[in-house]
Order: sequence, then C-alpha cells, then structure tokens
Amino acid sequence: MRLKSVLSCLLCLWINNAAAESYLIKNARLYTAAGTDSSADVLLVDGRIKTIGNNINVDEKITTIAANGAVLTPALFNSYTHLGVSEIDAIASTVDTYSQNSQLTAALKIADAFNPSSVMIPHNRSNGLHYALVVPESAAGLFAGQATLVKLASQAYVVDDSVAVVVQLGEQGQALAGGSRAAAMALLRQALDEAQHYASNQAAANKGQRWQYSNSYADLAALQAVVKGRKPLLVKVSRAADIQQVLVLAKQYQLNIILAGAQEGWKVAEAIAAAKVPVIMDPIENLPLAYETLAARLDNAQLLQQAGVTLLFTGMSWHNTHNAYLVRQSAGNAVANGLTKASAMAAITANPAAVFGLNKQGDIKEGYAADLVLWNGDPLEVMSYPRMVFVDGKPVSQHSRQQQLRDRYYSRAQRAKP
Amino acid sequence: MRKHSALIALLAAVSLVLSACQGDKTKAAKPELPNPNPYPSTYQLPATEPTLIQNATVLDGLGKQWDKADVLLQNGKIQQIATDISPPAGAQLIDAQGQWLTPGFIDVHSHLGLYPAPETANHADGNEMTSPVTAEVWAEHSVWPGDPQFEKVLAGGVTTLQVLPGSGNLIGGRGVTLKNIPAITVQAMKFPDAPYSLKMACGENPKAVYGEKGVAPSTRMGNMAGFRAAWIQAKAYQKSWQDYVADTVAGEEVDAPERNLQMETLAAVLDGQIRIHNHCYRADEMAQMIDMSKEFGYSIAAFHHGVEAYKVAPLLAQENICAVVWADWWGFKQEAYDMVPENLALLEHAQACAIIHSDDPIQAQRLNQEIAKAMAAGNRMGMNISRAQAIRWVTSNAAISLGLEDQVGAIAAGKNADLVLWDGDPFSVYSHSNKVWIDGKLRYDRNNPAVAPTSDFNLGMLQGQENLP
Repeated sequence: MRLKSVLSCLLCLWINNAAAESYLIKNARLYTAAGTDSSADVLLVDGRIKTIGNNINVDEKITTIAANGAVLTPALFNSYTHLGVSEIDAIASTVDTYSQNSQLTAALKIADAFNPSSVMIPHNRSNGLHYALVVPESAAGLFAGQATLVKLASQAYVVDDSVAVVVQLGEQGQALAGGSRAAAMALLRQALDEAQHYASNQAAANKGQRWQYSNSYADLAALQAVVKGRKPLLVKVSRAADIQQVLVLAKQYQLNIILAGAQEGWKVAEAIAAAKVPVIMDPIENLPLAYETLAARLDNAQLLQQAGVTLLFTGMSWHNTHNAYLVRQSAGNAVANGLTKASAMAAITANPAAVFGLNKQGDIKEGYAADLVLWNGDPLEVMSYPRMVFVDGKPVSQHSRQQQLRDRYYSRAQRAKP
Repeated sequence: MRKHSALIALLAAVSLVLSACQGDKTKAAKPELPNPNPYPSTYQLPATEPTLIQNATVLDGLGKQWDKADVLLQNGKIQQIATDISPPAGAQLIDAQGQWLTPGFIDVHSHLGLYPAPETANHADGNEMTSPVTAEVWAEHSVWPGDPQFEKVLAGGVTTLQVLPGSGNLIGGRGVTLKNIPAITVQAMKFPDAPYSLKMACGENPKAVYGEKGVAPSTRMGNMAGFRAAWIQAKAYQKSWQDYVADTVAGEEVDAPERNLQMETLAAVLDGQIRIHNHCYRADEMAQMIDMSKEFGYSIAAFHHGVEAYKVAPLLAQENICAVVWADWWGFKQEAYDMVPENLALLEHAQACAIIHSDDPIQAQRLNQEIAKAMAAGNRMGMNISRAQAIRWVTSNAAISLGLEDQVGAIAAGKNADLVLWDGDPFSVYSHSNKVWIDGKLRYDRNNPAVAPTSDFNLGMLQGQENLP
C-alpha cells in the first residue's frame, strides 16, 4: 500500500512535470519561410514541436493557449551582432569585439569573450530574438577571428564556438593591408597558401619542424578548416568589383564562403547566386556612406533573392547588437521594397539556421525545437510585439532591465496623477 | 520674424529715447549694431497651381484624424481642410482615396550636409573640436547642399530639418533650419526668418573630447564650470552693448564695443533671440541645465537625445521644455544605458512636449516607423495613444521646439503647405510616401522620378533609376 502510494505519487509528479513541459497553441497562424497564412494547432512537448495539425485534442493537464488566429513564428535569428561581447560601446573594458594583438587574428575565438549575463540578452529574448551570430571585428590584421553562434535561452549559451573565420576586405581591408585592396588580396592569398602548406606538412610540424611563415602558427592552425573547405570564410565586402574578386579567389582556393555587407551585391547577384554563396546583409542600407557603397539601394535584398541568393539578415543599421531583435524591422523594410514576407522570414529564421548548422531549428515543423514567438500582429510590422515567447518549449519571462525601469517610472507617474 | 523682433524692439526703444532727448541734445547719434542676419535666406516661394487633395485620411498634426477630408493648397499655404471642398478653377486634383495625408515631417536633429555621404574626413564638417566653447561657429557655413542624403530623407517625408553642429563641445555653435529642397547654396535652403538655435552638450562627449586632450572639461563638474564661465562672459558682453546703445542714444560719443562672434551668439541667447537645443541624456543633468538657465536668465527650447527624459517628464512639462528622443537607441555609452522604448509615451503621459529625432540618415528616412514603435510600446503598457496623437511627435511638437509652430507642423488653414501623402497607414513598415509637397510645390513623387532630379554627386556614378530610395 505504502509502496503503491509512493509510486503513484512519483507517477503524479512525473505527469505534472510532463504537463508543465507541454503546451498546446490552438489556432495559430503560422508565419514561416514556407508561407505566412496557414492556420494550425501546435503541440509542444519536451522542448520540441511534437504535432502540428487541426483540432488537436489533448489531456486537460496540458496548458492550452488560445491563439485565436494570432501569428506564430519561429524565434528570430540575427546573423551579424556583437551580442554579449560589447556591453557599452564607449567603455573599452566592456568591449571584446576586436584585438590589436597581431599575433592572434584568425585564431581569436570571440566565443571566449561571450557574456551570457549581458543585460542585452533578456531585452532581445523578450522581443523574440533567440539566435545570433556574434562576429569579431578586424583591428590588427585582415582576419578578425572566429564567429560564434549563441542561443538566447533562459540561460544564454554558445551553441558553436567556431562557425566561420571572419576576414575584412573592401575599404577597411585596404587600410589594414597598408593602403591597397591589391595588398589585401595578396595578404589573403599568402595566408591561405601558408595554411595549405602548414596543412600538408602537419606531420613534420608535429615533429617540431618550423617554417618562416608570415602568419602565426596559431592563425594558420585556425585556417586549416577553411582551406580544407570545412569551415566557411566569412568575407566582409561591399563593392561590386570587390565581391567579384572574392568570388574568383573562393573558386581558385575551393573555399566555402559567406559574404557580409554586400551593399552593392545586387549588381553582381547572378555571380553570387551561381557560386551558391549566402549573403549576410542589412536590407535597410541604402546610402552611399562610403565610396564602396555608392550603389546601395533598398531593393538589394529583393534583387539578390530574385537571382537565387540565400539571404541572411542583420539589422537595424548599427543597432544590430543592443537592439538585435530589430532585424525584423529591417526585414519589414525589405518587404516594403519588394521581397516576399516568406523570404524575409526565411532570412531571419530558417536560412541562417541552415547555413550555420542548427539542426531542426528555425522553422515550425514537427520534431523541430520549440523556439517560437506568438505575436499580437504581423511580426514584420513595427507596431507588433510578442505576446508570448517560448524557448525550448517553455514560455519565458518577459522581464528585462528596460521593463523594470519602465514599470518603476510608469507607476510613479500614475501615482502622481490626481 | 521672431529673429528680428528683439532688434526691432531695441531700435524702437532707441527712437523713443531719441525723441525724448531731442530737447536736451543738439545731436543724437544712432548706435551701429551688427547685422543680425548677414547670411540671409534666398529661398523663393515657388509659383504653384492650386492643388486639391481629395478624400484622404488626414492626420492633421494637431491631434485629430479626419477619416475622409479634402485639403486645398494655394499660393504655398494650406487654404482649407474640410470634408468636402469644391475645386477652384484650374486646381490640380489629387485623388487620395485610400491614402493618408500628414504634415511634412520635421527632423529637429539632423547632421545632413555637415556629415554628408560618403562619410570621409574631407566632408566631415560638423564638430569644431578645437575648443570647448565654439558658439562662434555656424552650422550653415559647413552644410554641403549637394549631400546625396537630402533626397533620401525627402522620400521619407522630411520637409524641414534643423541641422545642428556636433556634440563634442560644451557649446558647439549655431544650428540652422532648412527646407529640404534641392539647392546649390545653403542660403537657398534656409527657412526664411526661422529663429537660430544654439547647440549645447551635457555629459560624456565634451568631457571625453577635452579630457583626452588633458584640458578642461574632463568631468561633469568641469562641464558646468565651462558653461557658467561662458555665460558670465556673455552677460558682460551683453551689458557692454546695452551700455553702448544707451550712451549713444544719450548723445555721448562712444565707440561700439569690439565684436566677438562667440559672445554675440551667447548674448543673443540671453536676449531671447536664439533658442537652446541641448544634447543631454541624463535626467539629473537636465535638472542642472534648467537651474543654470535660471541662473543666467535664458530659456531652453529642447533637450535632445533625452534617453532619460521619462524620469523627469513632469519637470520638463512644467518648465515647458521639449524632450527630443529616439524610439529605442541605447547602450552605445553609459549615459545611454537607461533607455525604455516607452520614453515618448511616458513623456506624452506627463503632457510634456515629446519629439522624435533622427541624428542619423537611416533613421531620418523612416521617422514614421520610429514613432510607430514608440506608440505601440506605450499602448502595450496600457496607454491609449492614437495615431493622431503620435504624429505630433514628428510634426507640431517639433515645430514648437523650433519656434515655427505658426508656419509648419500642422494641416490647418494658413499653415505652409508642407504635406506628405502616404500610400497607406503611415505607421506601417510597408507604407511609402507617394508625394511630398513643400510650400505647395511637389518636391517628390514616388511614381515620377522626374519631379526630384538626383544630386550632382550621383550623376555618372549611378545609372538610370539606381538612385531611387
């Protein structure tokens, strides 16, 4: 008897826990890379999307959320941020995005500096952003280091500490290389040649043999996977002519590359598409802010998409870190300038998930991670905001520093009113 | 007119004294005062046909939404807004069914022309960081009218811009209010008779710029000391001219004081002719600046970049000072750390004069989206802010801060015909401006690029329609 009651109690605990892990979102409008207007119920169990269907019936112990036609999207992904590595931009001690140390360029792993306790994280998570690429910047050489993929879960963490090696070309690369784009390209080829040499002489290197390389051994080791085509080289480049040079080099060295910036990408969209190179871009950049972006325009995203380029978005302008969630405002502006809503959603969910190797994430499909956002309106619309945010199948708190500040002063203002 | 009013008052006083003294003095001299407007506007009101915009949804900038209204533009002015206006003979008719009409947007914090595109050192003329007080510099002497960003911002509906010097200095110099029209000279863009402004900056920027050079100010208390020293000097300078005028009028042969451009601008602030636009992020510093304005007897028109304005919203309302803010920028420095997206809403709640600004050519192209986010944040918190209310943040409230509320910022009879016709709800990310008028002249038409020829800069660099926004 006693044993039985203990067992049943254990069972009831288990059921309660199971129930606590399960949610049924009734009658949501699914808004994903596949389209924006199918309606369905979505059952979340143990952190995953278990079932998608119409009229799913569940045990009354499972919490049911009546969406009443509200939009449900995958959690958002911003493909170019400094989240967790630059707390206050003007305070150098809180900024880890770049290093002046020229011995460590490609070898720098920005993941080592990631701070999961940053106040940026709750702010962005509660606004629907759960994934971000954190990208180092170049300061001592062309190579900035290795980008990392982070997840803004209840406790934010590094998903992959090295998803790409980042290199800076264009105007900034020119300056880093001593004042010529030609020098930058020559330095890049030299680094790749040395990395190839180092890779093919690994056995001798392991025995202690050393060569006169221009790059440090640590940097060449970091470039191994790049020259072998196993890890993407993320190339920051803007001007159409510079993009073409990069595509030629990538073909020559059989590199797997991703372009970032690409403000003039639309002028060479066919070539980018033919090379199957994804592009990280902010669709809102339409100004000739540099001589390398004279042809920047608001329909860049649409023109690239039309040519068949895989798009990964960042945004909004230089607020792509503290307000990384505003990537959806940039995406909305892309739609205002010709991109379809589904393509815009793809660029902030499914596309980056696929390009950066997130297995079964970034979409609303059975078996996928239940990282979802339920909105009060069209998620690409600036007036919309999340009603509920699910991370790993559970609703997360909307608390952030910003909300606490707001509540403190709003309640004071209300008390002061007669 | 305002700019000259103090001078006119002074001259009137002079003539009064002159006539009163005529019995005693054989010869009364007229004081020679510096020309207060040596770089006058050459803007010409363009000749326009009457235009009748019919059946638009109108946000009038004064707090009202008209669901279906006609607006008649004539001779550069808004002649009438009503539910049904019969077209005058020869009027151009615009069918605005399904479209929204708002006043032309006013960006009270722009650096267009001072930091033009491309952003090169050759072009960067916005921050005279060679001395903490440079009240003697005038932004209009740096503005490059050929900046290719002006046309992009026009497409975003911005018809009036206040171009301010940067914030590296305590007192950065005079700002200038421009009409966003294509021009070869800045004089042709200057808003006729708009009051001048003076840019001041609290906080981190001046103390960092000069602290790094090892000179004052290097602290916030150093900032305050620097401001106060300048005002003390300005008081003395103001008095020297007042004495000169009085003595001259009294018939004494006195030399005019030596002109000092820096002091001339500061004295004009003390005289109430120049309006203070003060970069100030932190609530506590706003309170210091308010006390300082009382210490020296001038008023503050607006605090800009007021990330913490919501903390002192009732004080700003009481002091009649506008708060000029972003929707959601934060984190780029310590003083920008306490951002809340409800800043504008909380200011509105306190009945303070709330204004959006850009400070940035990307933001300036979509101030409608910025106020939409701020409105939504307030409504999410439980307020009930309408579009008609929120549009004031970029129109009539902005006009108040510039002292131009009699002319711009509203769709009402007698105001300048500065208007934006939107192809949908202007608070939607998907909407575009279809047409933009300034003083009744069509300056931008999304469907007719010929209306707005691109800048000289773009010629030969971009082909065909590549310059489109």
